[in-house]
Amino acid sequence: MNWKKVLLKTKVIFLILTVVVSLTLIRGFTIGDTVVGGLSYGTDISGGVEITVVLEENNTVLLEEVKNSLEERLNILGVKDIKLEPWGNNTIKISVARVSDKEVDNIINTITRQGVFYAEFNGVIFATGEDIKRVDQVGYDASKSAWIVPFSISKEAAEKFAQLALGKVGYPVDIFLDPPVNSVLIVSQDVYAVMVMINEFQFVPDAKSLPQRLKEAFNIDVIAYGNQTAEEIAKLAEGKEKVILIGINGNLESQLRNFGIKVEKREPRAGEAIDEFIRRIIGLYGPYKLQEGLTTGEPRTELAISIGGTRQDVFAIEQAKIVRTVLESGSLPVKVSLEGVNYISPTLGEQFKKQVVQAGMMALIMVGVIVYFHYRRAKIAIPVVLTSLSEVLAILGFAALIRWDLDLPSIAGIIALIGTSVDQQIVITDELLGGVKREKITKRSGILKRMGRAFFVIWASATTTIIAMLFLFWYFIGGLRGFAFSTIVGTITGILITRPAYAEIAKILLAEER
Amino acid sequence: MLENTLKKLAATDPKKMITYPLIVFLVAVLILAVHFPNLGIDLGGGVAITIYGVDASASEVEVFLKQNNFDVTARAIIDPTGKTKIEIRAPLDTDPLEIMSILRSEYPNAEMHPVKVGAAISKTAQHQGLKAVILAFIGMAIIVFIFFRDPIPSLTVVFSALSDMTIALALMSIFGLELRQATIAALLLLIGYSVDSNILLTTKLLRRKEDTIEDAYFSAVSTGFTMSTTTLGALASLWLLSQAEVIDMIASVLIFGLLADFMNTWILNAGVLRWYIYRGEKK
Repeated sequence: MNWKKVLLKTKVIFLILTVVVSLTLIRGFTIGDTVVGGLSYGTDISGGVEITVVLEENNTVLLEEVKNSLEERLNILGVKDIKLEPWGNNTIKISVARVSDKEVDNIINTITRQGVFYAEFNGVIFATGEDIKRVDQVGYDASKSAWIVPFSISKEAAEKFAQLALGKVGYPVDIFLDPPVNSVLIVSQDVYAVMVMINEFQFVPDAKSLPQRLKEAFNIDVIAYGNQTAEEIAKLAEGKEKVILIGINGNLESQLRNFGIKVEKREPRAGEAIDEFIRRIIGLYGPYKLQEGLTTGEPRTELAISIGGTRQDVFAIEQAKIVRTVLESGSLPVKVSLEGVNYISPTLGEQFKKQVVQAGMMALIMVGVIVYFHYRRAKIAIPVVLTSLSEVLAILGFAALIRWDLDLPSIAGIIALIGTSVDQQIVITDELLGGVKREKITKRSGILKRMGRAFFVIWASATTTIIAMLFLFWYFIGGLRGFAFSTIVGTITGILITRPAYAEIAKILLAEER
Repeated sequence: MLENTLKKLAATDPKKMITYPLIVFLVAVLILAVHFPNLGIDLGGGVAITIYGVDASASEVEVFLKQNNFDVTARAIIDPTGKTKIEIRAPLDTDPLEIMSILRSEYPNAEMHPVKVGAAISKTAQHQGLKAVILAFIGMAIIVFIFFRDPIPSLTVVFSALSDMTIALALMSIFGLELRQATIAALLLLIGYSVDSNILLTTKLLRRKEDTIEDAYFSAVSTGFTMSTTTLGALASLWLLSQAEVIDMIASVLIFGLLADFMNTWILNAGVLRWYIYRGEKK
């Protein structure tokens, strides 16, 4: 075989150069401090979570603001490898790489909190988020057996509180984060009993009860459910933002929806005590019993939120961290809701990656075997497989160059491309060989014409593929862009580099048989 | 054996050749009219959790979650390598992370993949998908016309692509595959595959004047057959070796489409072209 002749062709040299450059890029290298190349993977391979949140309003200015505050929150929470991508005029896609499923819980809790803060005493709000001046590190207080988030409020708020609290020893102080302002809570009888009667929420007999405080401070009505009709409840909900059903089963929810009322339903989590459940729903921290030292009329700017639990209580620690993060980053300018979650554990992602790499290798081998059986010549099968392999390397090299995150659809696209690549090499080979049973290249003058025909097919199919995939690339933000990306890059590499090189190789190899 | 079949095909009356693929196309349209593939989670919205490596049956998992007040349905998916995974579906207002934490307490070794897609996102994805498919199809048609500048062969190529996609969709409906973003991508890639083989056939029959039509057809089929088998080989490896849902879906849709394309190119398109050439010769 005349290897020298093959290797000296310009197009072949170009192909070899492409492969060498691609391999270098795939491995990655550093110039000074900057890293160039190296493969990076999407969350469906490296493991991680993709979260989609939607703003209640369509507003691109707010969208940017929310994006920045969410980014800040995740930074404060200490999450690494975050990517935030605004989409349209009300959606943000957040992807966080390499996290465990437990961390995902915290991340979601942190970003979906609007973070509106209120400090309230006996039915009067004395401080809001704007009054928070500084938030300190989370610490553990062994005497109270609770995790503490200390913060300080403005002087004005502190003075207001001092006035309100004068002489009221033992009264409850509440701190709220995202309470359901201006709504109706329909609660089951046992939940109501806890809210009104139990000392968890009320310390001295003449202090206002929790439902009273909620009503006066936030216009939240708490109603015990005793089989009222949906109509009666709908009347109560007039002018309110929404109705929240707490611990109530049955079809009340759908009945109220029929009245055109916004309804939310809440259930206790497994093993959750009723008072914890209530706190979670109304966003309450506390109530704290007002100590004697604070009732003298002297303004104090230092406050704290405490979250009960042992020193080892992971849940309490995480809660404290989330509260700190939300207080520190301030409230979001608009409500956001969790619209999408897609989580892949790092081990599962790793498994998927291994499987697709194996599939890719097997695809190449199968293709080689089929081509060999068709032509009965290793001389054709080997170059075909090597050319396809170099195309795969070229796509990976380009992905490494622009730091494209390879996800599963991208890799599926690459493997599907092995199929197309081989298809087109077969078109070239068959044109060179002539008719079905003819084994040798026919007249030299015919070669140009034959190659012209082969490349007509190749260009036509490449153009259509690229057109089809461009629309996919433009219109989708999700994982499919990866599929479109690898298909487009592969097709372009194919028509510009690999196909012409293969044509040169095949011409020489098959001409020798004459 | 194959050669004999092909010889028979090459000798068949072109009009007869065209009939069969058209019947298949109509059947596919009927199937889609009766039962269009269900929308998958990313286009239809909802909550889904896929559980890998759990020693329980789908119904056991379902009962367990129902006892914990989750309104779910579970089904087992067995892949070709014999590994099973369980897929749980729940209504949109369910928190997938809560289901996960409960499952984790019962099946500590299970690997889980939770997905939640809200109504707003799934709607947008539907619109985008439809737009991408329509525009890609129009783009393809324009390119084909530019390359051939001959209405009948161009229309046949465009129709073949349409038929490939329709039959692939009908097969998805029969095999219970859902229409998802990934399957839309695969359907779009089919356009490329379809054009590939059809253009090969058309150029060979129309431009290769040195052979007879039968010879040109044989040579095109022989090339096309190798092309399809290699692609099927690559896709089958993908389907067999991977457990990731996205990959399986892309691979199966491409396999369906490729099989349909085989018929549409070598029988339908070949029939139309032969009829077209004979008609030209008569004139």
